[in-house]
Amino acid sequence: MKPWLPSSSTMNLPRRPLRLIGGVAIAVAIALLVALVLGAILGAAGAVTAGVGTSVDVAHLLRMTAIQAGLTTILSLLVGTALAWSLNRLNFPGRDFVVGLFASAIVTPGLVVAFGLLTIWGRSGWINAALAPLGISIGNPIFGLPGILFAHTVLDAAFAARILLGRLDALPTARLKTGRSLALSAWQRFAIIDWPALSGTLPGLAAIIFLLAFTSFPIVLLLGGGPANQTLEVAIYSAVRLDFDLVGAVTLALTQIAVCSVVILASAALAPVPTMLGPSAPQSWADRGAARVLQMLVLAICLVGFLLPLAAVLFDGIGHGLISVLTGKSFWMATATSLVIGALSASLTLVLALALALARAATGRHLLRIGLAAPAYAYLAVPAVVLALGFFIAVRNFGIRPETAAPYVVILANALLSLPFAIATLGPPLDALARQHGKLVRALGLSGTRQFALVELPLIGRDIGVAMTLAFCFSLGDLGVISLFGTQDFVTLPLLMYRELGAYRNNDAAAIAALMLVLTIVAFIALPKLFEKLARHAQA
Amino acid sequence: MVKPIRFAAAVLAFLAAALPAVAEDKPTLTIYTYDGFAAEWGPGPGLKQGFEAQCDCTLNWVAVDSSIGTLRRVQLEGATTEADMILGLDTSIAGEARATGLFADHGLELTGLDLPVTWTDKQFVPFDWGYFAFVYDKTKVPNPPKSFEELIAEPESFKIVVEDPRSDTPGLGLLLWIKAAYGDRAPEIWKGLKSHILTMAKTWSEGYGLFIKGEADMALSYTTSPAYHAIEEDNPNYAFAAFTEGHYPQIEVAGILKSSKHQELAKQFLQYLTSKDGQKGIPTTNWMYPVVDLGDSLPPAFTEQPKPEKVVQLDEATITAQSKAWIDEALAALQ
Repeated sequence: MKPWLPSSSTMNLPRRPLRLIGGVAIAVAIALLVALVLGAILGAAGAVTAGVGTSVDVAHLLRMTAIQAGLTTILSLLVGTALAWSLNRLNFPGRDFVVGLFASAIVTPGLVVAFGLLTIWGRSGWINAALAPLGISIGNPIFGLPGILFAHTVLDAAFAARILLGRLDALPTARLKTGRSLALSAWQRFAIIDWPALSGTLPGLAAIIFLLAFTSFPIVLLLGGGPANQTLEVAIYSAVRLDFDLVGAVTLALTQIAVCSVVILASAALAPVPTMLGPSAPQSWADRGAARVLQMLVLAICLVGFLLPLAAVLFDGIGHGLISVLTGKSFWMATATSLVIGALSASLTLVLALALALARAATGRHLLRIGLAAPAYAYLAVPAVVLALGFFIAVRNFGIRPETAAPYVVILANALLSLPFAIATLGPPLDALARQHGKLVRALGLSGTRQFALVELPLIGRDIGVAMTLAFCFSLGDLGVISLFGTQDFVTLPLLMYRELGAYRNNDAAAIAALMLVLTIVAFIALPKLFEKLARHAQA
Repeated sequence: MVKPIRFAAAVLAFLAAALPAVAEDKPTLTIYTYDGFAAEWGPGPGLKQGFEAQCDCTLNWVAVDSSIGTLRRVQLEGATTEADMILGLDTSIAGEARATGLFADHGLELTGLDLPVTWTDKQFVPFDWGYFAFVYDKTKVPNPPKSFEELIAEPESFKIVVEDPRSDTPGLGLLLWIKAAYGDRAPEIWKGLKSHILTMAKTWSEGYGLFIKGEADMALSYTTSPAYHAIEEDNPNYAFAAFTEGHYPQIEVAGILKSSKHQELAKQFLQYLTSKDGQKGIPTTNWMYPVVDLGDSLPPAFTEQPKPEKVVQLDEATITAQSKAWIDEALAALQ
């Protein structure tokens, strides 16, 4: 089996011109939107006089950021693969809860996770408190580059594990049976059965994690220690806010997009097409001996490393802040706003991601496949502060009051933010389906609609659930565009949390963080199951 | 597809509810401010209630994400801005704001103000103030440093949290404080501070949050911060470290925009804002000193620790011309 050579099988793809047109239209629209946002800022730059910018050592920043993001990516994929492998093999009570908890890390606001890590690892954290009677201290290990890498790995490896686990859980039962009857060793099983299913997902995941780490703002600034560990986003933020040097800000943003594009294009070009997909069945084939011990060890370490900080967030939130938050009107208003915005932007994400992924799966042409995914990823490379500003100016250019446009802009921006994640989730299984069943669909002469309803939807129901959940929770925790569009009456949960934090109200902020995390975990446990059921129901 | 429709309806209903009910015959005074000021726990709601009771108008707060954000937004909006006034700029960026030419003269007689300086500004009106200072917990730091030099001489394990001067007002305040106290020796001070700086947070919120979590011994904040903990949390253990070099004041100001159609109403608001009635809520909602002497109405927590005796300052023109170069200088010393 050579899954990275799809050319022979693409001959059998049914012709789907509508899917291609739809996908291309959306990809072009997203590219135009990015251009519009940057163009709006440049247009406004002429109207305001820029001050003298603070000098920025771009080369230094790029080097530091690339090293940090590269290390984060490698660490996250290694740990994520090991964790997915362990979770796939081990069956234990509360597994669903653990999987949901792992996945919730990436969509939790970075600041919340960073504070959770500090509760465990910080100078006044649990570990130091436990060691204090013995006269030992681990000091402040969480600050500086190690701290940034640790925090990013907690976020991103858990996310990678969730996506990779989805691929492993979807391995066809027949294939596992064959493998079992051949008495494959644990290593052979990984190399022959698991790896081909995982490798199609890894490049997309790598690109996402690299982009997230490259553009990571709150964690780097909170744990970074000082100017030595700053990212390009800090310089951009400073150009926009302090210097008001809009041309400079766009130049820096374009630099960031250019660097990220290298990663995006490489991942799009490298991504092999996965070949296997089947209805999932509970894993019944456990490994034995050393492999099983290793799996338990990996799981135990990850549980302690990843779940403790999240548990700490919940723990920190149960204070006297909880009562005052729950009895306040603003919390419920913000919750309602966040839920509505989250549901709408998740629906929009799903539509866009399906259109792009279906178009990608319908063609074997390499360049077209890259062109269909790249704009979605490019959006992730645009700094949030630039996006917010660009949207703000563009909306005003259209003669609309920012207050009126705010909900729509936030829904659109949040949907686009989670689009790469949705494509990474839905793309590989749709590709696999097209290759696997293309011939059959062609022979049966199924229409595109019937192909989707009969073949694709039932098999990707759970992936749709995962993509929707990711998008929903991302929207729940995002603070990018809302920071410039929020008003007293239009406040989401993370914005409310930041406002509380900005007014000495740390207990209330901690309570909101905990409640957001609870919402996220519930969504991650319930939504994928719900969608799988719905998809099955649609088929029957 | 019932669901999306229902969601859309929910959003529309939400929007309709969110639109402020504006009576058509009354004039509306729109003020851009930073979000903390307009928040339900900030001074905004009380000032709105107090002013509307006497003005026969509607006061509309528009919360922007930061104080500098209010200025940037008006600069972008130019003459088409809805804002009549900006409230929340401080003396560090007043020079830059003035240079935009967007602000009108307030024309008020501002006498009897209780400020560390004599107020002669023609465009901006002060509404609260404080000194930048390092705040600490008395139970954890029994002998706080009494100057920057003593702070530098502390063992390396003594950590402080500061804010980035490029993204945060107190961060810029510290930069100006060190410059005002040490002049050309400022880079030397920054170099000395480097090993004590746990992190340079993006905003005060995050930096102060780290300090509250016990990650650092002191955080750059205000001389008025301990009053919050004493009053709201009943915790008398916080104090600020009085520095012998003197402290740098932050004075928050409001200014009327030339483009406003409600110049008189705006002046009337500024009059109210600086009156005893307008000021009485400021200390316990914005946690800063009032600009008039409130006498016994000022909670004792604000005067528990004497205000710094020595004040260091820089003039506005120098700040506007030099602050970018000073930021580069400080960041270079920290690299």
